[in-house]
Amino acid sequence: MAEKSTKTKIRVVFVGKGGSGKSTIAGTFAQLLARSGAKVVALDSDPMPGLSYALGLDIDDMPIPEDTVIEGPLGGPKWILKPGTDPEEFLMQYSIPTADGVRYFQFGNVQGPWISIVKPQHAWSEVVSKLPQLDWNIVGDVSGGLRQAMNGWTKYADVALIVVEPTVKGVITAKQLLKMTKASWGPRIMRIVANKVQSDDDLEMLEKKLGVPVIGSVPWSPAILEAERARVSPLVHDPQGTYVEAVSNLIPRVLKLYDIPIDQTY
Amino acid sequence: MKIAVVGKGGVGKTSVSAVLARSIGRLGKPVVALDCDTNPNLGLSLGVGDIETQRIIGIRQQVSDREAEHAHTWDDLISRFGTDAPDGVRLGIVNRIENPEPGCPCCGLSAERLLSQTNFGESIVVGDFEAGLGIFSRVGESQIDITLIVVEPTPRSLDVGMRALELARKNKQGRFIVVANKVSSPAELGLVKQSLTHDDIIVIPFSEALVDADRRGISVFDVKDNETFITPIERLAVELVG
Repeated sequence: MAEKSTKTKIRVVFVGKGGSGKSTIAGTFAQLLARSGAKVVALDSDPMPGLSYALGLDIDDMPIPEDTVIEGPLGGPKWILKPGTDPEEFLMQYSIPTADGVRYFQFGNVQGPWISIVKPQHAWSEVVSKLPQLDWNIVGDVSGGLRQAMNGWTKYADVALIVVEPTVKGVITAKQLLKMTKASWGPRIMRIVANKVQSDDDLEMLEKKLGVPVIGSVPWSPAILEAERARVSPLVHDPQGTYVEAVSNLIPRVLKLYDIPIDQTY
Repeated sequence: MKIAVVGKGGVGKTSVSAVLARSIGRLGKPVVALDCDTNPNLGLSLGVGDIETQRIIGIRQQVSDREAEHAHTWDDLISRFGTDAPDGVRLGIVNRIENPEPGCPCCGLSAERLLSQTNFGESIVVGDFEAGLGIFSRVGESQIDITLIVVEPTPRSLDVGMRALELARKNKQGRFIVVANKVSSPAELGLVKQSLTHDDIIVIPFSEALVDADRRGISVFDVKDNETFITPIERLAVELVG
């Protein structure tokens, strides 16, 4: 796995209903990938803290200053990065490193009025749009539900993994999210990650109702809440546990998706 | 009266909204349950069923896909993108859609503007907001009479709760009540009270009935041994409108 992950660049985003466990799986996935030697950026467009917890970070706010952008040309985007900005340098300056070397990149939490994050959001999006040309594996996390997922926030991802709890609401949300592939910016491949699974029946139900393969199954584990309460990542709290093992199993399976010819994708 | 229900994803906003709306309905008051979530599933918790919930999502989607007419008035909106739920509750789906027509009441009007601009007459409105605080942060001053900030005793949910409290105070949103859901011990309640310094608080013990209802996609009213979840909300309904 280690040698392969340095060749194929994973660009994955985790989507799903609020509370389904996206952020925790995304954070664990990102750290495990980084431990294999890969260069990983964890992208967070959710203004609520989540991914930072799963990455074991104490600080979750590294706001991008407003003066990193200038007004764009007429007819173009409203704000653009200052000319001469190097995306890689920008990323290194405004991202937070985790213990495992993942760079955590977000635009600053929404504390102030709505308008105050517009410029940082533009800067973030523009840097993110340039990441695929750079040498980074991307693990993304969006806010819960459909808003960000269905509005082009995940353009950077080739693969979208829908985190689904085996509940009727989880299934309905997942059905809506599967429409992401129809968008021009949509992911090439979508798969299901079943979370908080208690039995094999859960998996069968999800595959049958959604018609998309389940790429991984993550068991319900009390260690997740314990880790959150201790303010450490699940990876540090329970490194040998079933949760970490299940997330770790996702990495080779996601890599394998990149071998699938494009006409055979979902 | 306009009641907003907010909180982190997965804390139980939708279940609380549904039980509150039905409890108000049982008291004989006219009530509209608004699903303001981009991912509408309040229908399930109200007990209208999986098929009917997906049917109204589909109708809403047709407007988004430009395959159906927009609704041009509030009444039209609630009749076309809505359905009757038990206990006299009218459910309306008012989530934002993808191709809004400027000025159109059914789509250009976002949930936050709908709440502030629509005249709901005598009806009591219970609005189930989307996860996080996106919409809530954009509702103007004094537009909501009662805000229920639903939390569970986990640090991340309490983070969201703290921010919601700040926003509600800053925007002068009338009365705000913390609903501490899924509380299974005095220590957990202590955690909530320590994080959210707010006296107006309702405690709902952890309920197996709620877990069961969620898994099956039905109303918690239709699951046995549901009192731990329902009773505190019924009491709130009486206090608010009884």
